[in-house]
Amino acid sequence: MSDVRKPILELKDLSITRGGVVELERLSCVLDRGETLIVLGDDRSGKDALLRLLGGFAQRADEIAGTIKLGAGDEQPAARKMRSPIRTVYLPGIEQAPFNPHVTVASQLARVVARRHESPRESGREELRIALERLTGAPPFETLEQKPSALSAVMLSWGLLAAALAQSPDLLIADHAFAGLTPIEIKAIVAALQAEQKRAGFALLYAARGLQTAANIRGRVIVLRQGRVIEEGDFDKLASGQAHAYTRTLFRALARPGEALPARTTRGEPLLQVHGLDFRAPGDRGPKARDGLSFELRRGASLALVGEEGSGRRRLIRALLGLQPFVSGRVVLDQVDLSILSPAMTARLRRRIAFITGADDALDPRMTLWDTVDEPLRAHLGLSRDLVAGHRETALKRVGLASHDGRAAVATLSRFDKRRLQVARAIVSAPFLAVIDEPLRGLDAFAQTIMKELLDDLRKQEGPAFLIVTADVGVAQALAEDAMFFKAGRVVERGPLREILKNPKDEETRHLIEAALGQSCYKTP
Amino acid sequence: MVMTVTGQPLQSALATVLRAAGWIGLALIAVAVSLSDFLANVPADTVNAGPLLGPPSEVFRFGTDVLGRDMLSETLHALSATVRAALPATAVTLVTGALFGFVAARLPRPLALSLRGLIGTLSAVPGLLLAILIIGLTSRGWASVAAGLAAAPMAFVQAFERAGTQTRAAHSEYARAAGISAVTLLRRDLIYEFTQTILSSAARALAAVTIILSTVSFLGFAAEPPHRDLGLMIAASKGYFLDAWWTAAFPALALTLLILFARLAAGLDEGERA
Repeated sequence: MSDVRKPILELKDLSITRGGVVELERLSCVLDRGETLIVLGDDRSGKDALLRLLGGFAQRADEIAGTIKLGAGDEQPAARKMRSPIRTVYLPGIEQAPFNPHVTVASQLARVVARRHESPRESGREELRIALERLTGAPPFETLEQKPSALSAVMLSWGLLAAALAQSPDLLIADHAFAGLTPIEIKAIVAALQAEQKRAGFALLYAARGLQTAANIRGRVIVLRQGRVIEEGDFDKLASGQAHAYTRTLFRALARPGEALPARTTRGEPLLQVHGLDFRAPGDRGPKARDGLSFELRRGASLALVGEEGSGRRRLIRALLGLQPFVSGRVVLDQVDLSILSPAMTARLRRRIAFITGADDALDPRMTLWDTVDEPLRAHLGLSRDLVAGHRETALKRVGLASHDGRAAVATLSRFDKRRLQVARAIVSAPFLAVIDEPLRGLDAFAQTIMKELLDDLRKQEGPAFLIVTADVGVAQALAEDAMFFKAGRVVERGPLREILKNPKDEETRHLIEAALGQSCYKTP
Repeated sequence: MVMTVTGQPLQSALATVLRAAGWIGLALIAVAVSLSDFLANVPADTVNAGPLLGPPSEVFRFGTDVLGRDMLSETLHALSATVRAALPATAVTLVTGALFGFVAARLPRPLALSLRGLIGTLSAVPGLLLAILIIGLTSRGWASVAAGLAAAPMAFVQAFERAGTQTRAAHSEYARAAGISAVTLLRRDLIYEFTQTILSSAARALAAVTIILSTVSFLGFAAEPPHRDLGLMIAASKGYFLDAWWTAAFPALALTLLILFARLAAGLDEGERA
């Protein structure tokens, strides 16, 4: 173990230019064996260019300058193809859709491992099985014997990680590998990765947009912006104080325990009243909440439904909005009992409900930016063209999209722009209820901070009640005063979020809180 | 890591080139049709313009037929007749097939599925037989409408499936959850799907109705002399085609080009074109 601290990667003045645009400018850094380096930045920060080069995917259009030294090899000019005495392994994220949908996951991953070791497919399969068994908390190998569509994001992530580790890396390049997973899932998978890193001694370079995974990984961080390193240092140190304004905005996205919660609101009359609701679908034999679920949401209040995927939160929302039948109980929305309304009348009532969701397909990709905002005004209020344009302009200004081409199709917008467009659509709808479902999913830390501010502004100005669906207690803490924690279709804890965070009574609640806030116990700056 | 390689950029560029070639071809045909009276040497059905069954020559570039008619002039006039009959037929297909398919997909589910089942069954019947049946029930004068209606079931099914995909899409579900009505969602489909695809749908329909119309004429159920279209010209050459190839080859070539260009313009891939 004498070579444990030897550098595995040394970059000197590395620059990458593409089509005349400088994507990465004079980056110099050293990564030691066994060390972790987090590259933090948004999509235009230059980290993608760096990963392209290190991962071996640099293209002809990339003009590369600077030098690189890999392991014990000589320093060489950085280029598309380089001699490498070390084993570099690229770990993609699920968002990059790395799987062929027609072949089982195990088969695809085994082929990758076998190719890397230049061994038969069966050996690759065995290596994959062993790597998966070493990862604490990973699913059994047999789970991967299904096509990708049958597996959840976290199962696929475990598979990808096992395949990467089975290739015995000296340097593991993780490209937003765990983005989109819930805090509990990230915590488990990062713990397993770090245990393997400690055992095998490989260096880890993790590219991150958000801070959720970075907060679990820890290690050294370099913050990139427009191709330049603007700040560098240990994660804990950066989290407690930032020199650069951009880094400060990034770290405002980091959920911290004890952070000021929104003021508790009890104003207004009840908007949503739920009495003894058994929100299972008819015929569903799953567990039932004892005596059904009862709660009340007042106008302007905010309630978070917190739980892992499949815990029943979305089923409850669908039942509350009359989109799905339920077994028993009563839902009163805006003083009207939904059970006595026809589907058409329920639809009319839903006109003042807005949806803001982390699903990228929530908006029609064919529509233009303007049409997306105009539609609720035209469809529900029949306003004149001038009035519609006025409302649209105001809404787009508030979310920062006024300067965008209004005739551009939604499909051409970035993820952050789509999310802001949903807020603009919500603003013109003047909703009495906003259903907000994982609003920060997949956004970089900067965009997360902006989105939180936009949602806060929506609540202050339009005053809708918030119903927040999330697996991240940090999101609940930022947007809600009250919370209900779900597990397997049942509510396991409920009440003011401040109280629950201080003293969680249920084991599942404690896990959710620890995963989101447990490792970031810093004093608020 | 496990990326699938599709070679999409090359495929996409090739498709764009083929589509452009199709539209250029159709534009040239449109020019030929609109100037057919000017480009033709003699009016339609002028007999004894030259020798009987004369082969292609300096004077008669496409030769002459058994009545001494100039085949170049006759082919131009017949192409014009075919296109003029195919255009209203295409409009019928677009309205009763593609447009109706889009609307039907947004109807209440039981009604939508019933229509889909009924018209889907009709689409399994060859368009030619449907056209003959409709002409039989009406008259030759309805040949264009009959061809349009005969091609409509296939257009209906394709439009219904496209609109159905949009109906089931997540964005439609979110819109419905926020109280957006079926009428507004239909408007979306008409604005963004129907108008975006109308040109390719029209080109596809043009190819389909041209085949049906020409075949019906070939069988003697549509065009009547002296107003001959390409199908009837080919039918008229049956007796002497083996000795005078030019009597059928040039009308067949014109028909082939019209259908080929329409299908290329519609962006059909190799399988569909075959």
